[in-house]
Amino acid sequence: MTAGLALTTVVGGFLFPFAIRMMWGKMVESWGPAGGFMAAAFIVGTVWTINHGLAQPLIKQTGAWVDMAWAAGIGLIAATMVLGGKLSKAWTNILAAITGGIIGGFLLAVLIQVMVDNGINYWLPFIP
Amino acid sequence: MKFFRSTLGYMFAGMIVMTVWGWLAGNYGMLGGFAGAILIIGPMWFMNHYVGLIQNDDDAAFVDMALGIAVTGVARDIFSFWLIGGSAAAGELFVDTLPTWGLVVLGGIIGGVSAALIEKDMAKKAQEDAYEKTAA
Repeated sequence: MTAGLALTTVVGGFLFPFAIRMMWGKMVESWGPAGGFMAAAFIVGTVWTINHGLAQPLIKQTGAWVDMAWAAGIGLIAATMVLGGKLSKAWTNILAAITGGIIGGFLLAVLIQVMVDNGINYWLPFIP
Repeated sequence: MKFFRSTLGYMFAGMIVMTVWGWLAGNYGMLGGFAGAILIIGPMWFMNHYVGLIQNDDDAAFVDMALGIAVTGVARDIFSFWLIGGSAAAGELFVDTLPTWGLVVLGGIIGGVSAALIEKDMAKKAQEDAYEKTAA
């Protein structure tokens, strides 16, 4: 990875939790649950286009798929800690996220193995 | 029960993002990816954070469903390398992942903390305005 791409990768990570903190809560406050769907489209969708969607996206991948969700997952924990949330009370959910992610990831790997065995590759861009 | 509920929420979101989104983007490009955000993140946010399948207490740091999605993405690729190419291939992929992972997490922490400091500043301004109104 070049220094330039390392810099764009950091900036890509910056954008996502920043946009979520700035807008998501306000959209839900303004429009209720429909605001959450607006946020999904115009925060996650829009930031996705620059972080992952472009042919040369901000986040440069070097190995297993590092989703911009990493930036939101860790960044929002950091943000709420600055605003007074306690890390000590968040461990149950952090462990649940790791456990759920590992089980889910394993199940998908089983699916992928079956697909590779049968020559199916229908989500091309994300599978080596 | 809290652990079980949360695990289910993170796993559900992670599995659907790490399959369907790639298919949408692969077949319909940028617009497919944009649609993925509405079709997947919309309902998953509604279930996990609006209905509250994942319970985040007010005085605890907020653990977004994004963390589950993030772990699923890395686990998916490392397990699939392990199942297809063996443990050596999986280990190599894990090491290759670390540069991107470190940089994205670094950016995420800077972004989250910056936003929180800006929110504090905005809250301070709003409080001052409210004080001026009551004083006048």
